[in-house]
Amino acid sequence: MPVVFAIDMDLQAFKQRILPVQGRLFRLAQLFLRNREEAEDALQDVLLRLWTNRQQLEAYTSIEALAVQMTKNLCLDRLKAHARRKYTDESTLLGIQAEDASPYRQVEVADSADLMRTLIDDLPDQQKLILHLRDVEEYSFEEIEQVTGVSINNIRVILSRARQRLRQNYLKVNDYEAGH
Amino acid sequence: MKPDIEQLLEKYYEGETTLQEEKLLRQFFQEGSIPAHLQSHADQFRYFANARNQHPSFAFTSKLAAKLTASEPNRFAGFTTWVRRLAASVSLIILGFAGGLVYNHWRSDSAGGITSSAETPSAIAMKQVLQFEHLPKTSASERIQAVNQSYELEQIDQDITQLLINTLNFDANVNVRLAACQALTHFANEPGVREALIQSLKIQTDPNLQISLIDALVTMKEKRAVDEMQRLVQNQQVLDAVRQKAEEGINHLVQGRGSPS
Repeated sequence: MPVVFAIDMDLQAFKQRILPVQGRLFRLAQLFLRNREEAEDALQDVLLRLWTNRQQLEAYTSIEALAVQMTKNLCLDRLKAHARRKYTDESTLLGIQAEDASPYRQVEVADSADLMRTLIDDLPDQQKLILHLRDVEEYSFEEIEQVTGVSINNIRVILSRARQRLRQNYLKVNDYEAGH
Repeated sequence: MKPDIEQLLEKYYEGETTLQEEKLLRQFFQEGSIPAHLQSHADQFRYFANARNQHPSFAFTSKLAAKLTASEPNRFAGFTTWVRRLAASVSLIILGFAGGLVYNHWRSDSAGGITSSAETPSAIAMKQVLQFEHLPKTSASERIQAVNQSYELEQIDQDITQLLINTLNFDANVNVRLAACQALTHFANEPGVREALIQSLKIQTDPNLQISLIDALVTMKEKRAVDEMQRLVQNQQVLDAVRQKAEEGINHLVQGRGSPS
């Protein structure tokens, strides 16, 4: 049991190890939750959980990978809960919108960053995650493998699909704009 | 530079670029002069580059830091919590033992209390020795002594007569049983004793005991014992002396019955 004493992290060590990652975790949360406040809330949840369990953290080869995984899972859980809760009112809302404008059309007004965000948001969760980890967070394939548990070859495939799909959708919207 | 970028883009969409090459692409599209045919890629890479600059708000970070620090004293005692837990478990164990001791004490105390009010200490001692469970631990002489102590008791209760009856019927040693038999004749007026003595005639196989039981019942003029004695007389396996004694006893009892009527 003396090991417990040795790995017991104090606040200083915790901050040094976890807080540099918080920007990363925040962006990931934002990727899934699309909302700043909700992302911050999720991030806080993850960090406090890590803090309460800091004695066990040493058992993980990469605390960052663990934190990223926790954030991803937490966000997906919250999305599921939201979907269940908001399903009815949101579907009616979308139904009305779909009648007078295509989803992309609304985006036209906003700037290109908003467009990209919307397009990325439309990707399947796994493509979204891997694309984000690679192109925004600049993760190596090994790091992505650690976080997602997907093999490197599959990561390449998924990444390639995500990039191509993003591009196609982007061109579609732009063609649509050009057509007008 | 341009062909390079086109090649890189191709590799990029195949998922084959290295991190270094991807950085190069982002840098290229961050700059102002982008050829028209590559313009359509620009938004994407700019978006990635900018997305990296998203951070939680300062208000959030300071709030979180406060939360963590607030929970720190708690945790600062992380080591002590551990020690505290240990101490708590040890003290619980000690408490358990202490509780046991106190309870035992209280029990013996309260037992003593009953003694002083209802029973004499010798009765308690006697009971303890004669307890059936203690049989293997006590010697025959100790038990005889305990039985004899019953003579000195001023008050006799059901417990003690029952104890003596048990001793009479089930003690391993004949002499103890005899002593119990004698003791019980003293308490013939206690409820259940006469019946128990009659019953015991069925149980006892030792001739000495059978004889003393017959004697005891005859002196008590216990006519209900006639049937049992009759059975003894008829039983071929019973010692002749006993059967004679039983016959005598029957005569006594029957005559005793006949004469007044």
